[in-house]
Amino acid sequence: MSYTELQVTTNFTFLRGGSHPEEMIERAAGLGHRKIAITDRNTLAGIVRAHVAAKKLNMQIIPSCRLDLLDGPSLLAYPTSRDAYSRLSGLLTEGNIRTEKGKCELYKADVYRYAAGIKFILIPPETLNIHFDFEPEFKAALQEYRNALGTELYLGAIRSYQGDDSKRLFRLNELSIQYDVPMIATNDIHYHERERRELQDILTCIREKCTIYNAGFRLHQNAERYLKPITEMQRLFRLYPDAIARTQEIADACRFSLDSLEYVYPKEITSEGRTPQQELVLLTWQGAQERFGENVPERIKEAIIEELTFMERKNYASYFLTVYDIVRFGRSRNILCQGRGSAANSVVCYCLGVTSVDPTKFKLLFARFMSDARDEPPDIDVDFEHERREEVMQYIYNKYGRDRAGIVATVTQVHWKGAIRDVGKAMGLSVDALDKLSKSGYELTPEWLEGLTGSSEGFDPKDPHLIKTLQLTQQYIGFPRQLGQHTGGFVITRGKLSDLCPILNARMENRTNIEWNKDDIEALGFLKVDVLALGMLTCIRKAFDLAKAHYGLDLTLAKINEKDDPKVYEMISHADTLGVFQIESRAQMSMLPRLRPNKFYDLVIEVAIVRPGPIQGDMVHPYLRRRNGEEPVEYPSEELKGILGRTLGVPLFQEQAMEIAIVGAGFTPAEADGLRRSMATFKAKGLVTQYEKKLVDGMMAKGYKEEYARRVFKQLEGFGSYGFPESHAASFALLVYVSCWLKCYYPDVFAAALLNSMPMGFYQPAQIVIDAKKHGVQINPIDINYSAWDNLLEGKNEKYCALRLGFRQIKGLKEEEMQTLVSARGKGYSSIPSLMEAGISLTALERLADGDAFRSIGMDRRKALWEVSALADRPIGMFEGQTAHSPEESEIQLPEMSLSEHVVQDYSSTALSLKAHPVSFVREKLQMLRVTPLASLAHCTDGIPIKVAGLVLVRQRPGTASGVCFITIEDETGFANLVVFGKLFDKFRKEINRSRLLMVEGKVQREGEVIHVVVRHCHDLSPLLRDMTQSDQEQTALITSSRADEKDTDNYQNKDHRVKQPKAVQVELFPGGRNFK
Amino acid sequence: MAAPERGRMVIKAASITAQNKGIDTGMVVADCRAILPELKVFDDEPGQMVPLLNAIGEWCLRYTPIVAIDLPEGLILDVSGCTHLWGGEKEYLKDILNRLRTFGYDIRASIADTIGAAWAVSRFGQVSPIIEPGNHIAALLQLPAAALRLDAAILTRLDKLGLYQINSFIKMPRTALRRRFGQELLNRLDQATGQGIEILEPIQPVLPYQERLPSLEPIRTAPGIEIALRRLLEVLCNRLSKEGKGLRKGIFKGYRIDGHLEQIEIGTNKASNNIEHLFSLFKLKIETITPALGIELFILEAPLVEEVPAEQESLWNISGSGDETAIAELLDRIAGKVGSETIHRYLPAEHYWPERSIKIASSLQEKPLIDWRVDQRRPVNLLRKPEEIEVSVPLPDYPPLLFRYKGILHQIKKADGPERIEQEWWLQQGLHRDYYQVEDEYGVRYWLFRSGHYNDEETKWFIHGFFA
Repeated sequence: MSYTELQVTTNFTFLRGGSHPEEMIERAAGLGHRKIAITDRNTLAGIVRAHVAAKKLNMQIIPSCRLDLLDGPSLLAYPTSRDAYSRLSGLLTEGNIRTEKGKCELYKADVYRYAAGIKFILIPPETLNIHFDFEPEFKAALQEYRNALGTELYLGAIRSYQGDDSKRLFRLNELSIQYDVPMIATNDIHYHERERRELQDILTCIREKCTIYNAGFRLHQNAERYLKPITEMQRLFRLYPDAIARTQEIADACRFSLDSLEYVYPKEITSEGRTPQQELVLLTWQGAQERFGENVPERIKEAIIEELTFMERKNYASYFLTVYDIVRFGRSRNILCQGRGSAANSVVCYCLGVTSVDPTKFKLLFARFMSDARDEPPDIDVDFEHERREEVMQYIYNKYGRDRAGIVATVTQVHWKGAIRDVGKAMGLSVDALDKLSKSGYELTPEWLEGLTGSSEGFDPKDPHLIKTLQLTQQYIGFPRQLGQHTGGFVITRGKLSDLCPILNARMENRTNIEWNKDDIEALGFLKVDVLALGMLTCIRKAFDLAKAHYGLDLTLAKINEKDDPKVYEMISHADTLGVFQIESRAQMSMLPRLRPNKFYDLVIEVAIVRPGPIQGDMVHPYLRRRNGEEPVEYPSEELKGILGRTLGVPLFQEQAMEIAIVGAGFTPAEADGLRRSMATFKAKGLVTQYEKKLVDGMMAKGYKEEYARRVFKQLEGFGSYGFPESHAASFALLVYVSCWLKCYYPDVFAAALLNSMPMGFYQPAQIVIDAKKHGVQINPIDINYSAWDNLLEGKNEKYCALRLGFRQIKGLKEEEMQTLVSARGKGYSSIPSLMEAGISLTALERLADGDAFRSIGMDRRKALWEVSALADRPIGMFEGQTAHSPEESEIQLPEMSLSEHVVQDYSSTALSLKAHPVSFVREKLQMLRVTPLASLAHCTDGIPIKVAGLVLVRQRPGTASGVCFITIEDETGFANLVVFGKLFDKFRKEINRSRLLMVEGKVQREGEVIHVVVRHCHDLSPLLRDMTQSDQEQTALITSSRADEKDTDNYQNKDHRVKQPKAVQVELFPGGRNFK
Repeated sequence: MAAPERGRMVIKAASITAQNKGIDTGMVVADCRAILPELKVFDDEPGQMVPLLNAIGEWCLRYTPIVAIDLPEGLILDVSGCTHLWGGEKEYLKDILNRLRTFGYDIRASIADTIGAAWAVSRFGQVSPIIEPGNHIAALLQLPAAALRLDAAILTRLDKLGLYQINSFIKMPRTALRRRFGQELLNRLDQATGQGIEILEPIQPVLPYQERLPSLEPIRTAPGIEIALRRLLEVLCNRLSKEGKGLRKGIFKGYRIDGHLEQIEIGTNKASNNIEHLFSLFKLKIETITPALGIELFILEAPLVEEVPAEQESLWNISGSGDETAIAELLDRIAGKVGSETIHRYLPAEHYWPERSIKIASSLQEKPLIDWRVDQRRPVNLLRKPEEIEVSVPLPDYPPLLFRYKGILHQIKKADGPERIEQEWWLQQGLHRDYYQVEDEYGVRYWLFRSGHYNDEETKWFIHGFFA
């Protein structure tokens, strides 16, 4: 007589379950269980993981759940068939949709409606009342459930050593006879082994927002809710053997497996009754003719035929058609979009218009990304303009209906910081100690535990309370914390989506998502389309519009990309890339003059090379040397030449590293993929060395050097989290080229478009404006009589149009109000009261005065503010239109405003100034300090000592740079990049973090066009800025740091290379690699 | 000191040492930690300043009878007619500053004709803290606008207009100023110049609960002492009941003419201002007073005073047994005889572990935070420490068949259990316990437990209590 565990709460019942589903399954398999139910509360979120784990161990799970009802005792629900499962999923969907995210409101009546084919267990109250009996309410509920659910209902019984177990079982047995509801044994599992009880107690504390010291009876009395051996369960229920036997009844009845869920593509993607394949073939050839003309080149024809047969063989036609449908919608609405991902760089996608990367020019082979051997579903991400992506998403919802389309979930996991905070709080640590702990994570290593290293905050490795806290934190890390919504992964089905998986409301309005994340749906073979947002596309779209209006150009991504323009590459090679896509960062800019890209593929490499993967794998410098001919191009072996040929023998892309594992170390494609995928997982479990050994041994057996093999492995490790696949790089490179082309030929258009798409990219408006000026664009100030909300281009006077700054640059203005201002402008405003009459509010007028926008009516900001502030009691009625001046006021003379004061106010209102650069006002003093203007750096020779000063734009400490801090400063003449090495950083931490005006002493380091200043000493000169105004305050307005600035040290420390960031059981495959804005 | 502000911890106050290292108010704690990792941060609780200022204000009463609190960080002293006692304004100010600085406070102060001017000079003045009579307007002119106690919005606007100092706008037409900055600016200006009135709200010090009774002749007899005590109690209890307070601790002191001090102390279970009750408590101890040659001064002090619960104010109390006051007074009397440490009152505590599941109440009024549990049976008499017993018990987790306790063998006839109680791992490590309720051949019930799991090698059995 066997036993099946039917009540298992995993950690997908957030803050209740103490073990991962995988752990439950592994333990159950170890104890000899053959089947197990996973019953999380009102959710099916964890069952796919359990299912996948069970399959590996030759076990089965019963997909089921616990239904917590608002008007009755809880039930466990076990669907016996696929249809019943769909009903259960539908029931949960109904409960989810009617309320807000994170809740599920269910009533008894709902359950009755969906009950067909589902077996239920009623969970009795945990304690008996004072008469050793159950409350009458419970008995009434039992009767009601019995009437409604009939013989599908069982009465659950647990024995958890509560002292009155025998009485309870006796009473339950009585009830079971009285109401004819069979009693069934469960064990109410909350953790896979009893040692997890401590963590489960902590979870209870987090849930109840209390500490372990005052949690009291909210905790469980003992640790009995762990998975027990079958024999022990039989012993505990020895008086009621039937209760054990009945578990088999349910287990046998539930034959439904998640494997039988079948994903079916929607019908709408084909027309005129064609099959998907026929439709795809038709559309592809149509597109090919549009792209290549009547005579499609033979090579292309062959490629198309090859790809199409492949797609037919793998039955992917529907997927490509789904993507095509979304892209077509974007096109029809004039929303710029571009596909990327492993399948996007195929000729078929080019013909369908999914991507603009021309496969003839760029020899990316489809087969390289897709092959029969690698049984991966195709993967296409489509980027849309970030301001208009919502339109696309709503289109999908509308076309397929909310019941058939949903966004994939992301399971947010607990990371070190959150974990230590929650656990520490529950363990009663003070807020101060928590702060320290949360940022000291990287120091609390095993060496620290052994007392070998100290910690900067003075934590004691012998403090048992602290150790316990850290142990529990380690266990807690990786627990799912909430179901978020994926950035844009859609699942679209033919039938109701809720037949497959419960749907729930997302936090955002008008969004619904499913409960499973992308790994889950991948495991079940569902396909998803990623609809992502990309800021640069918005910028490019705006640039195209401006170019059309002012230069009469009709631009598209593909058109610009038709031929490689040497002038553009020349500009790129000089690192003149401020504001363009991807290659505008400091690291990229310093790479460009060394790499000197001159063709499209060089840009692909450029995009991929400045990434943590290649940097950590030490692949960058060998590549540069080989490219510049300083080192011979050689291959470790002939078989790798095919893989590494296009990157001069140095692996730079994710695919290459994987292929090396396959070709060089004899991995199967699935193994290689598994290796990459689970890199993070194994890190946590310490299995990483096993894989490393396998790879290194495999490669050495094939005759590679050990050092090379280790390097490949290291790179693979880096790719695990930050890799850049070639196909993604290619799609990005296209946008890089387009943005560079715009900047090169139409800097006015580019600057205006960029400013109108803010916030995005790396730089602040001030830098964009300065850069545009440098390129010969005239910039006009914001003015009530000329500006609009957006930045405008004005009549062409010289080479380019002048750029008129828009009201959007002024802090605190509202778009609608400024539209009113523009539409009521007529022939122009001549006085402030006339603006008031146009309906502009006092606050807006004051903001406009702050932005110095009244120059065209002869008022500077101070005068304008003086006038505006008097408007509150302006003449009304018959006196309307008259000035608010009262005679005795005319004598008032406001103090004259100096230029430097104006600049400060400009910065404070618009974060930029056209009048002067702030540093120019302190230049005299800087000269006395013998500070070199930054522009002169270009003429300095390598190695000379130098003193420079400027406003701090960016401070960065990348994890790949072993504690080095990179700082970019700016003065009125230009920019400079500073390098501060680790030890000096600690010494000058205060100066670096606090300075707005930073002066450094150091040495010039010059490598061709790339110039750095290696810092030896830092000084905070911010007090000098105080003298710019007469007021005594520090000029906080002059904060120029960019969005990429990393001032808060908390961030750096986690990016520190020493950090052993504990990785969770399942992590996103490429966090940070994809959703670039 | 830091407090949360828009989701970040922002510094609200910093010590001079911290300020010298670059930490200042308004900064975000995370930034400060970057500059000074060893920075100590305390939570700034709202309202924390009031009691501190109150205390310093009361201390300042030695300098002037009129002291007012000026939140968030100031005190206003009306020094009219006080300074000459210290030998002039300079010495007066110096004395206050020196003393407060010795206590460790960082203090700035100033003396001027108007509250506004003194406020301004003490915070922004850089020349002299003492402004000669009539010079206060001149002293104000060079100060920044912020010295006028203005709203941040007005200050920003003044700043934007370039009106940084008071003299840049003090002479402007009042109508022009009112239109742009509102009445507040004018009011503050007037207060600083002395054209407006400002009313102080002086603090009222709390008098200690102490009564004195000097005797015309030295008292030497017990009745004499009793009379003195009764008189003092009458006065004190009168005051206590007016203020809605009651005494928890009382000290009765007698100063003998030979300089010796005699004193007796009482404590109550419940705050009381009942003269008769308190008198009877003291009376038990009066015999310990040795008057010797006589007592010339009696003092009655109440160092511990609490609010009297409102329910006591009902005119009469009909309920017999529920009369808490009567019980309290009875307890006071018993405790006075046998010592208060022998009487305990237990309340339930939220712990599963039996030793911690009860706690001793601190007063008669203390209400249990939770109900006594009724779903799990617990013995009436719980041993403070479980005592080991010998048992014979079948495996695996059946109750014992018999056990020997204090040499007597008990046959177990009936039993229930086990109830497994785990260690509270955050307090203590060790084995869990399996508890059984058992009944022996005489119908007496016991609470037994096995320490550890039944298949552990060494398990021990204990008796932990007796049921009724």
